Amino acid sequence: MTQVTTPSNLLGVNEQHEFLLDNQEYKLEREGDGFFVRTRPLGGDYGPPKQVVLLTGSHNLQIVWLETSEDRTLEQFPFAYIIAEKIWAPVRQTFLMPPDLKEYYSIGAWNGACMDCHVTGGQSRFVTGNKWDSRVAEFGIACEACHSEGRQHIALNRNPFRRFKIHLTTKSDATVTNPARLGAPVSGLDCGQCHSVWAFNNISDKINFNRQGANFRPGHDELGQRFVVQPSAPDHREQKDFIRETEPDFFSNRFWGDGMIRVTGREFNGLQASPCFRGGNFSCISCHEMHPANTRQVSLTKWARNGQLRPKMDSDEACLQCHKTIGSSISAHTHHAADSSGSRCYNCHMPNTTFGLLRAMRSHQVSRPTVQESVDYGRPNACNLCHLNQTLAWTAEKLHDWYNQPIPQLSDDDKTIAATVQWILKGDAGQRALIAWGMGWKPAQEVSGPEWLYPHLIYAMTDEYAAVRFDAWKSLQTLPGFSDFSFTYTADDRLLRQAAGRALEKWLREVRPPNATFEPQTALDSDGRIQHDLFQRLRSERDNKRILLAE
Amino acid sequence: MNNLDRNLRFGWWSLLVFLSLGGVLEILHGFKVGWYVDVGSDMRRLMFTLAHAHGTALALVNIAAGLTGRSVKALTPRASVCFSLIWAGILFPVGFFLGGVVTYGGDPGLGIWLVPIAALLLFYSVVRIALDLSRSS
Repeated sequence: MTQVTTPSNLLGVNEQHEFLLDNQEYKLEREGDGFFVRTRPLGGDYGPPKQVVLLTGSHNLQIVWLETSEDRTLEQFPFAYIIAEKIWAPVRQTFLMPPDLKEYYSIGAWNGACMDCHVTGGQSRFVTGNKWDSRVAEFGIACEACHSEGRQHIALNRNPFRRFKIHLTTKSDATVTNPARLGAPVSGLDCGQCHSVWAFNNISDKINFNRQGANFRPGHDELGQRFVVQPSAPDHREQKDFIRETEPDFFSNRFWGDGMIRVTGREFNGLQASPCFRGGNFSCISCHEMHPANTRQVSLTKWARNGQLRPKMDSDEACLQCHKTIGSSISAHTHHAADSSGSRCYNCHMPNTTFGLLRAMRSHQVSRPTVQESVDYGRPNACNLCHLNQTLAWTAEKLHDWYNQPIPQLSDDDKTIAATVQWILKGDAGQRALIAWGMGWKPAQEVSGPEWLYPHLIYAMTDEYAAVRFDAWKSLQTLPGFSDFSFTYTADDRLLRQAAGRALEKWLREVRPPNATFEPQTALDSDGRIQHDLFQRLRSERDNKRILLAE
Repeated sequence: MNNLDRNLRFGWWSLLVFLSLGGVLEILHGFKVGWYVDVGSDMRRLMFTLAHAHGTALALVNIAAGLTGRSVKALTPRASVCFSLIWAGILFPVGFFLGGVVTYGGDPGLGIWLVPIAALLLFYSVVRIALDLSRSS
C-alpha cells in the first residue's frame, strides 16, 4: 500500500538520519510534521531539500518517495527500510538483482509502475519525458479495490428498508461485488488483478490504462486491458512472442523454465496453474481472508504475519477441506510419520520456491515434488528443501520406490553431492538465495542436522548478490552460537570477507562440536572444513547469468 | 392515586435497572470482553450504550413527570400520557438493546424498529403534558 508520509508511519527516523551511497551523502531529517532529504556529493554542499511525500510498503519493506520539481512526478529515495531488521539499506540491495545494476527505480517509477497496484483507482497519466500527472482514488488498498465501485451501493443503501430487506432475505446485494460469492476463478482474479504477472493486450490498451486506469472491476472474468501471463498456456501467443522479442529476460526473471512462477507477489499465476484450480472451487479465499472475524489486536497481528490466512489454514486443514480421504491415513500417502514435517501438505506440495522481499516463500502452484523439475529447470524440489543433506539420486530413489516416479538421468555430482550444496555453490542467484534462506528453515534443520550448515552459510555471506548474503546471515543467526552475530550485508567486499572470516573462526573455535562428523556429500572434510578443490570446482561451474527477480 | 404516580414508581425502578446496566457495561469494558469491545462489535457497543443512556434518561423523565403531577395540582394527566411515557421508557432501551444483540455489520438488529415507536410515544406524551400544563396555568 501507499501512504501519505506522517511522523507516525515513516519508520526508522526520529529526528535525523544520514546515509552514504555511491559517493553521495543523504540527510533525512524531520522539520515539524514533515520529512525532508538533502543530498550532496561527498564533502560538498547540500542541495535544496526535497520533501518525503509518500511511502510504499508497511509490513516488510518501506520505500520512500520524494517530491520533484515536476508536480506529481515522484523520485525514489535510494534507501529503503527493512522493517523486521530495523535497518536502512540501499533499495537495490533489498531486491534480488545484479550487483552492478545501479538504478533499479528512478524518477517517475512510482507513477509508471508501483501505483498500478499500490493504490486504489490509480491513473498514471504520463505527460512527457519523465513527467507524470498521476491521480488516485485512494492511497492504499481500499474497499473498491476488491468490491468494485461503491457509489450506487452507498446511494441505494441509505434507505434502511432496503438494507433490512437484504439482511432478512437474500443477504446479497447486487450493487456491490462480494468475492466470497463469486465463482472461484473470478474471485481469484479479484486478487490476481495485482497478484499476477500481467501484460497489456496491445499498445492502445496500454495507453488507455495509463490515462484512465484499469477497466477491470472485481467480478469481471478477464483483466480488461491486460492479461495474466502464463508462459506455458496457449493464450495470447502473439503478445507473449512480442514480450520475448522486446524483453528477452522477462520470463526468466519471473518464471522457472516450465512456466512455474518463481517470484513472490504473483501468487495468482501459481494458483491458476494448479490442478486444484481446474476443479472450479479453489481460489485465494479458500485459505486466506481479508476480514477476520476475530479482531482482537493480538489475533490481527498474528493474522497479518501469517499470510492473512483463515483460522487453521496454516495446517493440513487447508488441503483436507477438499482432500478429505487423505487425512484419515496420512502416513500411507506421505511415507513419513504422521506428526512429522514430512507429512505436512504444504511442505511437499507448496515448497518454498518463490523469492521476494528478501526471503523465500511458498509456491502457490500446488504441485508434487519430482527430481525431474530440479534436473530440467533447476527448481529445488520439496524433498531436498527439507532433506538438505541428501543427493538428488537419494531423492529420485525414494520417489521411485514410494510413488513409482521414473528415475531421471543424473550426473555424477547429482549422485555424490547434496543437491542443496550444488545449488548454493553452482546455482544461479535465485537458487542460491532460496537455499541460503532454506538452510535457516527450522523443519529442514531438524531433519538434516545443523552442524554442516555453518560453513556453507558463512561462505554465502560473501556472495556477490546482496539478497543471498542477507539470507545466509539470517539463516546463520538461526543456528546455535550465532543468534547475535552482527553482519552488515550491504558492506563492501573487503568487510564482507572480514566478517565471513570472523564467523568461520568463531565456528571452528567456539561452536563446532569436537566430536561432530560431516558426511562426504556435504562437500566438507570429516572435521567440517570445506573441501577446497571441490568447492572451487563447483564455484567455477556457477551459473552466472544475471538474475533480477521481478517481484 | 394520580396517574402520574405510576410514572414516578416506574421511573425509580427503571432508574435502578438502567444504572445497573451501566455497571454491567463497565464490567464488559473492564474485562475487555471481545463480544462487546472488539472492533467488529462497534455497532453492538453503540446500541448497548444507547440502551443504557435512553433507559436512564427516560427513567428521569418519568420521575420528572410524576413529580410534576404532584406539584401542579391543577394538572389532570390523561391515562394515555402516563401509558405512553412508561412505554417510551420501556421500548427505547429494549429496542436499542435488542438491536445490539444481533447485528448486521453496520446495521443493528430488528429490535431497532421499536425505537421509532418509542419516539412517537415520547413525543406524544411530552407534547400533551406541555399543553395540559399551559392550560392549567
